[in-house]
Amino acid sequence: MLQVRASLKRGLFNLDAEINDSGFICLSGLNGSGKSTLLNVIAGVLKPDAGFVKTGSKDVTKLPMEQRGVVLVTPDSLIPNLEVDRHLVWGASARKVQIDGESITRTKEALGITYHGRVDRLSLGMRERVSLATALLSKPKAILVDEAFSNIDHREDFIRSFALLCKAETIDLMHTTQRSEDANLADHHYELVAGLTSKAF
Amino acid sequence: MNWLRILAFVPLALLVLPVVALLYWGFGPMISSQGYSTQVFRSIFLTLLASTFTVLAEVVLFTPLSYYLARNRNALAETFADIPASVPHPIIGIALVVLDSPLTPTGRFLLSIGVNFFNTMLGLVTALTIVSAPIYIKAMQPYFESMNRAPEDFALGMGASRLRTFGSVVLPNSIRGILSAALIALSRAMSEFGSIAIIAYVLLSAPLGLTGASPASVTIFNLYDAGDLNAAVTASAVLIAVSIPIMVALRVVQRRK
Repeated sequence: MLQVRASLKRGLFNLDAEINDSGFICLSGLNGSGKSTLLNVIAGVLKPDAGFVKTGSKDVTKLPMEQRGVVLVTPDSLIPNLEVDRHLVWGASARKVQIDGESITRTKEALGITYHGRVDRLSLGMRERVSLATALLSKPKAILVDEAFSNIDHREDFIRSFALLCKAETIDLMHTTQRSEDANLADHHYELVAGLTSKAF
Repeated sequence: MNWLRILAFVPLALLVLPVVALLYWGFGPMISSQGYSTQVFRSIFLTLLASTFTVLAEVVLFTPLSYYLARNRNALAETFADIPASVPHPIIGIALVVLDSPLTPTGRFLLSIGVNFFNTMLGLVTALTIVSAPIYIKAMQPYFESMNRAPEDFALGMGASRLRTFGSVVLPNSIRGILSAALIALSRAMSEFGSIAIIAYVLLSAPLGLTGASPASVTIFNLYDAGDLNAAVTASAVLIAVSIPIMVALRVVQRRK
């Protein structure tokens, strides 16, 4: 369950957001509508001027990023100098969660990670698959995906598989997109217009 | 006609001219065998060695601070980090003398645990570290500030501690910045005179046959002070001739990384 009621003023931009849902949430909006800002507020990169952020029923507004259980994944999210297999378990070992070899294999298969090599030398799309799988295997409460599905081929299939894996682990998934048709894949759809959220379904 | 180039390069002559003059006079009309004696080469070796130790110590000690300041605004800590750069450097030398003097409680304590700054390699490296650390921090902090934070946010979100994130995510992405900042700090350490002329002007006991050696800047000042201008000019030219290739080589290595 992701509950957010937050406002933030940055120069002329005002964010006034309200989210109250669980499962797979799609957040659509144009450039500059505040999608990334909202994800940054939920992840704890930015502090809201007022309001709260709750994951599950826990108020995490004042918690530092490393204690929130919220992973923000962007196209630049990667741990440098690691091979694919070591990268995949990095987050789990950071959070000290146990994962067995079988669930790693299952995740790799479901997300089409059939390659090896250093993650920072992979193509953008291949890297995004690994970063998203790494986030998933760290078993957080929520994964926020900021445009990190955009460079992946067979995108819709990938998003479906990823959302299913998140659901199996009861991880809330929220992703930003400029295409509102992406919402068809999600359980819930919020639109952001000039910093203001409105729930479509 | 590229006027910007002229505007850029004419003032550069102001920086280059004294060096060129020194090389010309030092190796030309004013050459003196006193200026390239074993004593001079020993002092240049000491300066290079102590500056290298200094930079290694700075990378270990001040990279975490630079990162911390880049991520957490702390005006007080930033001001403290700036102090050594904003006071005349003899003051740093005097401060170290007082800190480690048998006349003060701090000095009695430090000396009782074997920490002696006065005319030792430790004192020399400590003084060089204090005067060049602000330069290192001032180079590293903006580097960390301008860094893409997505990998850090990713790691923190997965529950990694700040320290683990710094060690496994930030540092591997900072090698270039660290090399570049270390190079600036090395130049600063090699050029120091004021503080070391007070705290470590001659090493009373040192390894590698450096006992009795003075740092290069002190040796050159001593030659000048003794009235041997020719020797001072030649020694200065030798120091420049040794340090310029080192700086150029390091810069080339750094660019390649």
